Amino acid sequence: MVQDRPVSPTRERLSTAGKATRLGLTAVLGGLLLAGTVVGQDDAFPFGPFRMYSTTDSLDAPVKSTRMEAVDTAGRRFALRGEEVGLRRAEIEGQLGRFRDDPRRLGGVATAYRNRHPDGPGLARIEIITRHFALDGGRPTGQHHDTVDVAWTPR
Amino acid sequence: MMNWFFAPVPLGRVAALRTLAYAFVPIDLFLLTPWVLPHKDVPGELYRPLLIGRLLHLPTPSFWLVVGVCVALTGCALVAATGRAPRLLGTAVFVLYFEWMIVAMSYGKVDHDRIGFLVLLAVLPTIGRARWGDTETLSERAGWAMRVTQIAVVCTYFLAAWAKLRFGGIEWLNGATLTRAVLRRGTFLSDWTVQVPFLLVAFQWFIVAFELSSPAVLFIRSERLRTRVVAGFYAFHVMVYGAITIAFWPHLVAMASFLPLERVRPIVWIRTRRQQRAERRQGEVSVPRSP
Repeated sequence: MVQDRPVSPTRERLSTAGKATRLGLTAVLGGLLLAGTVVGQDDAFPFGPFRMYSTTDSLDAPVKSTRMEAVDTAGRRFALRGEEVGLRRAEIEGQLGRFRDDPRRLGGVATAYRNRHPDGPGLARIEIITRHFALDGGRPTGQHHDTVDVAWTPR
Repeated sequence: MMNWFFAPVPLGRVAALRTLAYAFVPIDLFLLTPWVLPHKDVPGELYRPLLIGRLLHLPTPSFWLVVGVCVALTGCALVAATGRAPRLLGTAVFVLYFEWMIVAMSYGKVDHDRIGFLVLLAVLPTIGRARWGDTETLSERAGWAMRVTQIAVVCTYFLAAWAKLRFGGIEWLNGATLTRAVLRRGTFLSDWTVQVPFLLVAFQWFIVAFELSSPAVLFIRSERLRTRVVAGFYAFHVMVYGAITIAFWPHLVAMASFLPLERVRPIVWIRTRRQQRAERRQGEVSVPRSP
């Protein structure tokens, strides 16, 4: 390895055209990013708004947590975790409205389960369950209850 | 303004950042976001194409598309990490990683930690060759690439504050968003915080203040001070990770564009140390022994 010699630094300059192109690109992408934040939705990825944790939650409204449960054709009931169907919990929550509108769409989740477990029994029932944690002044009261949002069985 | 946009940067910084960014890609694929690859098993009816997917008529991800992108991306990124063919491989990594992101974000959930890293991958191929440890060639090309990456990183903070006002309203500051986050994802380090009145609300004020003031880091001239401020940014993310085990890994890689990475020379350090140790040992041997 050659040691760094004390040489005066050389400067690599950009042509005026090179600078203009780069400034133009910066302006266009910056404009898209700003537009995404002002009027865009997640759909505009990668220029959508940075809305992580951006919604306001009331200190007294219950906190919801979604999960899936399944019954396989052997009659075993178990918690259906995201990785077993190739989807994250947030993705199930993101499509919850579509599943509610048409529970048959959960058939796709059953297909994904079969793709990932080709040798085991298939699914005879899928439920999306929401747990509501009660809050009082922003603090959990320790009470909760579950509701089944969507249920699917093969026809 | 022009000087600020194109403030020259040593090419050694680009070489180091290239290795960091491209080596990060397989780590991201297999360790940090291992949930993307399983989309290969999800039937097309659950694919919800994003605007960009619809505009570009991108295909619905199939088993072989997802596996193919994964293999090609891993291969290109590993070779690119060595600094070879920076324009060709860099462009390939950007295009493949972008498609990987489409596969990741098109099933009902979009993540918001990618823009800085995507910008970094997009601009790295524009710089051309760069040698590790090169502190003598100052490049305006590299200066612009680092600057736009930094801007994207800062936008992630600043525009996140804007999004909070847009979606949550000013009430966000006094709401229960963090309480909800800790209830859902809390750890032993953070679970106690929901029981302390006003603590999480105070932290919400802190977050917005931090996000709104983050652009200042773009204008710090002293490298020493800038490095310290950016270290503070990293500390913020360590704290968030401890509290809710969420880390914006690609964002954290892109943020390294603020740091004087050309001075980080792990291989040279190991070599020098080994050499010194060898010399010391030689010195011991050459001491004449009395019979």
